[in-house]
Amino acid sequence: MNQPSPNLSTPPFLMDNQIRYTDEELIARFQKGDEQAYTELVIRYRDKLMTFVFRFVNDMEQAEDIIQDTMLKLYTHKHYYRNIAKFSTWIYTIAGNLAKTELRKKKTRKVTNISQMGPEDRDYELPSVAPETDEVVQSEYIEKKIQAAIQNLPLHFRTVTILRDIQELSYEEISKIVEVPLGTVKSRINRARLQLQNELKDLK
Amino acid sequence: MDRYQFEDAISAYLDNELTLSERKAFEDFMNVNSEGKHLVDSIRANMTSIKNLSDIKASNSFMPNLHKRIEFEKKRPSKKIVNRPSKTLFGFTPLYASIMTVLIISFVTVGVNLWPGAQAPANTIPAYTGNISGAPNKTLDHPTIDANQDAILAEAETDSADTTIQKKKNFKLGNQVKFVKDQR
Repeated sequence: MNQPSPNLSTPPFLMDNQIRYTDEELIARFQKGDEQAYTELVIRYRDKLMTFVFRFVNDMEQAEDIIQDTMLKLYTHKHYYRNIAKFSTWIYTIAGNLAKTELRKKKTRKVTNISQMGPEDRDYELPSVAPETDEVVQSEYIEKKIQAAIQNLPLHFRTVTILRDIQELSYEEISKIVEVPLGTVKSRINRARLQLQNELKDLK
Repeated sequence: MDRYQFEDAISAYLDNELTLSERKAFEDFMNVNSEGKHLVDSIRANMTSIKNLSDIKASNSFMPNLHKRIEFEKKRPSKKIVNRPSKTLFGFTPLYASIMTVLIISFVTVGVNLWPGAQAPANTIPAYTGNISGAPNKTLDHPTIDANQDAILAEAETDSADTTIQKKKNFKLGNQVKFVKDQR
């Protein structure tokens, strides 16, 4: 393997004299061997995918591992992408599938994580690193409640909710990512929102 | 619009996916049912809260770690980096394509051999048609066995392969044929 390794240190948001390439153009360039295009794609998608996968698996370290795997897959399987679908659809599908696989593995391992324990399970409290204001505490509480409510959704509801309400993807794109008909996506989103409303009604 | 239809249409309403008439029906129901209006408001508020959840950022070590993993993958002898997807023939991998070809050829060969009349052997015995004695019974579509035919059947069963029976009978023409010499 004599391929040059991608230069991951410099973020080339605007390549070649300030031309902003589309994702599809970038992957096409990468397929032809342009390693800089790969770096650009990683930079564009790593945080978006981190948000998606973290909301899905509820574990920061695991989410980062999954994104690493996703980006590695993008590198090693670049020629599997065909320019018939949007690049974002393809990369979200890879990340979503890896996240689901990881969740299945986790279910079988049944590892108990301190962050997932209820307050009654904990032997000690984790020390806070800085004093927090009421507002910060309140917003953290809300975020935790919402995250917990999302985790309580069945997997197929969770995926569509995150993709629609957090990632703000279109129904059509979600339908392609989760590979179910458009009507099913709409129905799942509606039912997921009703379930979330039921779980979060005491939040306000 | 009833309660169930209303609940089914909430997301479509919030995402502006309803037609004008559906939207009007939805809003009419909502204006009459305060509970429905409360439900829509709280779902809208939840959607806003979810949208405002903090973005998760990858750690600073993400890029160096990815770089290391790419380097590792490149050096790994057992796992090659896939540069091209495997070639397929009409959607089949070469292995499955060859198996399919063999199956199709076998199917066609067997089919040609079994096809009636395709390669009939010269000494084939004619099939029993249900009427041995003479001309076919035109009034019946299918051969039937009645009392008169029992004898014929019995005869036929004794030697169904003897095709000369017909010829022997046809030669008994004594009363019907008169030779020219007899008339003189």
